[in-house]
Amino acid sequence: MRGLPFDYATRNLGRSPGRLAGALVGSTLVTLLVIASASFIRGMGASLDPPAGNSNVIFLGAGSEESVERSEIRMQAADVVGTISGLRTRLGQPFISPEVHIGLAVRTDPAVPEGRLTPLRGVRPSAFLVHSEVQITEGRAPVAGANELLVGGLVSGQLGVPDARLGLGEVLHIDGREWRIVGRMRAPRTVIDAEIWIPLTDLQVIAQRDNLSCVIATLVPGEADITDAEILAAQRLDLELAVMTESEYYATLSRFYAPVRAMVLATALLVALGGILGGLNTMVAAFASRVREVGTLQVIGYPRRAIILSFLQESWIISSCGALVAGALGWAVLDGVAVRFSMGAFGLIVDAPVLAIGVGAGLGLGLLGALPPTIHCLRLPVGQALKS
Amino acid sequence: MIGIECRALTKKFMKGETTITPLDSLDLVIEPGSFLALMGPSGSGKTTLLNLIAGIDRPTSGELLVDGLDIAHLSRSRLARWRAEKVGYIFQLYHLVPVLTAYENVELPLLIHPLSRKERHARVQRALELAGIADRHDHYPRQLSGGQEQRVAIARAIVADPPLLLADEPTGDLDRESSTAILKLLRKLSEDLGKTLLVVTHDIATTDYAQATLHLEKGRLVTEPGEEQRHA
Ligand SMILES: Nc1ncnc2c1ncn2[C@@H]1O[C@H](COP(=O)(O)OP(=O)(O)O)[C@@H](O)[C@H]1O
Ligand SMILES: [Mg+2]
Repeated sequence: MRGLPFDYATRNLGRSPGRLAGALVGSTLVTLLVIASASFIRGMGASLDPPAGNSNVIFLGAGSEESVERSEIRMQAADVVGTISGLRTRLGQPFISPEVHIGLAVRTDPAVPEGRLTPLRGVRPSAFLVHSEVQITEGRAPVAGANELLVGGLVSGQLGVPDARLGLGEVLHIDGREWRIVGRMRAPRTVIDAEIWIPLTDLQVIAQRDNLSCVIATLVPGEADITDAEILAAQRLDLELAVMTESEYYATLSRFYAPVRAMVLATALLVALGGILGGLNTMVAAFASRVREVGTLQVIGYPRRAIILSFLQESWIISSCGALVAGALGWAVLDGVAVRFSMGAFGLIVDAPVLAIGVGAGLGLGLLGALPPTIHCLRLPVGQALKS
Repeated sequence: MIGIECRALTKKFMKGETTITPLDSLDLVIEPGSFLALMGPSGSGKTTLLNLIAGIDRPTSGELLVDGLDIAHLSRSRLARWRAEKVGYIFQLYHLVPVLTAYENVELPLLIHPLSRKERHARVQRALELAGIADRHDHYPRQLSGGQEQRVAIARAIVADPPLLLADEPTGDLDRESSTAILKLLRKLSEDLGKTLLVVTHDIATTDYAQATLHLEKGRLVTEPGEEQRHA
């Protein structure tokens, strides 16, 4: 005794191009939708994860631990932080980065009245020591007093312009003045990727402030830890400093955005679910309409498991093709795409886990789309099946 | 050749509160190799009887021996295997698989059996020729007339060489000319190949081709085959 040959499944597909095309497009779309949802959730999550393996501590204004944009500390704090022993140094330069974080309207076109709120970070060159995940991919770091900018990889998506518009030498309008882009940087999967960096003093002028948002310092593990930083903050109560590790800071940030993330997650799940249900509906209808074929095969003498197997093969051929196409498409098109979020942006991430989820959903759809309707067909008494 | 014995064969269906009894304690013996026509008003239980004999459905009570085998008590998978070997079923509406060619439709029952491709080809060819439809082997069902479709369906029913052929109103959807051709073909299968044939029909002409005619009414045989005038 043998079952239905593999041919039976492939022929059934090949001979009804309309149905094949419909099913293929459907399963591709569903898989793509799931990949998009997963890459969205993953990208958003990753941007709020701390950079791996870093021993940075952040000094913020006490009471502003949840938002560096609201934090204000005195300039003097940078020098005080320098007194911690066990700070990392290179060529005598300590890893201390005094920074101003602020969201300002950035215009690509001066004629447009409203710019887009974009995260700006005022930095000194030491910022590149502290934020080792930042890589200047083109050009150089901006020099103070020359109206120069360094632009992150997701800023074009954030501003809604093609990336070429932010090439070296291009101009952006901030605070009624022209700023020239002299460098491009990447810090994938971090909030920095969506930022524009400006020399610290320039940003202080724009923002009309003479203080800092935070000071970030890198400790040498084993020589200093967060306790040393906390002791310093406690000794200098006059500076009103709060201190936390960068990991803690990101964890706080994550908690702050948790409700938003939950909403995003729910939305993404709903979208994916909608797609899956739609795809399922089509597939179930397609298989359920083959009641008579199932009845005929049974009369001919095919055992039920042979029929189930053949229908599953058919459905899996489609869904694995769809999953493959969607996976390739998702990886090629979606990976790294900027999504505006809050004041900044994050990049979609299509990596192995995301692809696995998408392809798994696609294949699951193949199983769910074919199995219940086939079983339904088989449950029907053969005589009734043939009459329908 | 295959014979059939029914004793007190009963089939009931529950429809909500009411019980329908399409077959009511039916006694019937079909000799091996005979060609019987089965007539009766619509709803008299003809299809029900055919489905029981084919092992598609199970009797509620009574005995049913096909070729001496009590098929009512076989498991579903054993029954499927048995059907693949012993029964060819011909439907009023042909039930060809629309995406397969005539050839592929006829080949379908052979794929269950361990046969070489060459052997399969020879058998499909022979069945198509016997059914007089070999010239249309590469046509799809939608490209065939009703009569031609039924020929393909008959080829499919005989291709695995089952000793028992069951046909449920095989000419019910055909014009007179095609009907006559199909009936002649069925008689040839009975005479030349010794198949046992049970043909449900509304078409009085069928009785001209069959050896005897059974009349079913409300789930009972009203006259034993042979007792009645064949040309009634
Ligand atoms: N699966 C079923 N469920 C319920 N009733 C059925 C079923 N199959 C047949 N019947 C009933 O049994 C009776 C006989 O049906 P059938 O054998 O198809 O008649 P015939 O083929 O002689 O026209 C009819 O009343 C029909 O409605
Ligand atoms: Mg009937």
